[in-house]
Amino acid sequence: MSTSPPPGDASSDPTGDATGRFLVQPNGRVRPLSPHLQVWRWHVTMAASILNRMTGGALSVGAVVVFAWLMALAFGPEAYATFTGWMSAPLGLFVWFGLTLALCLHLAGGVRHLIWDAGRGLSPKTADALSWASMIGGVVIAVAFWAVLFASGRVGL
Amino acid sequence: MSRATKTYIKGVKVSERHGAGEWTAERLSSLILVPLTLWGLWTGYTLSGAGYDAALDWFRAPVNASLLAVTLLVSVWHMQMGLKVIVDDYIHKPGSRGALLGLIGLFCLVVAAAGVFFIVRLALGSAPLPAGFGI
Repeated sequence: MSTSPPPGDASSDPTGDATGRFLVQPNGRVRPLSPHLQVWRWHVTMAASILNRMTGGALSVGAVVVFAWLMALAFGPEAYATFTGWMSAPLGLFVWFGLTLALCLHLAGGVRHLIWDAGRGLSPKTADALSWASMIGGVVIAVAFWAVLFASGRVGL
Repeated sequence: MSRATKTYIKGVKVSERHGAGEWTAERLSSLILVPLTLWGLWTGYTLSGAGYDAALDWFRAPVNASLLAVTLLVSVWHMQMGLKVIVDDYIHKPGSRGALLGLIGLFCLVVAAAGVFFIVRLALGSAPLPAGFGI
């Protein structure tokens, strides 16, 4: 079996495989594996975008909690006392905190997407900065909200 | 029906079908929800640990009840669109996709209808449920 030289200019093909991501194609050329989530080099814009979808999904579950609050209130003092009893226990407060965190992250992420959708802030540097700002901002707002809640004595452990 | 002439805005082609409508609706709903979410956080702070009577008092103010109803409806609309995009992206089998979208639609309808029902009763100061429903 005769081996033909690889087609095209193979001189700049990678020779080492430090990343484990390169594959010798049937035609002899060295090519990187097709990137997917598992092999993708994570970038902050990508992480922020995925986070926005995840928090949006989480908020759909959170909607059920808020709906249950509304329902308990409409069903009178006993139902309301039962609901607030569960939701003021440590596990309940944890659920509320998760809901607040998802809400703040989704809010900040949503504002970021609105800025991008208006065609602004799309240069790589600004897009990165906006991604970091929305993620850090979301966490800061949620933590501050709960710090004030505890400090005001409205909730306690 | 495609348009006779293709339309461009700032050099970007405008969709000839309905895709742009969904895109716009998602942005419009998020734009409306930005102030409503901030108001919702403020409300959550006000009502946290305030008890049953304080919550009832809060609902008796028409501004609060109306804003909450608007927040609920726009949120459910936004949620339906968001969940639909996730299903459209990841579920490729037409049967499963249709069934899931149907379930999501049903869930959203129930949350919206029952939620508005509760809000209206609380705003009007009706007796606690299930009063008047024969249970």
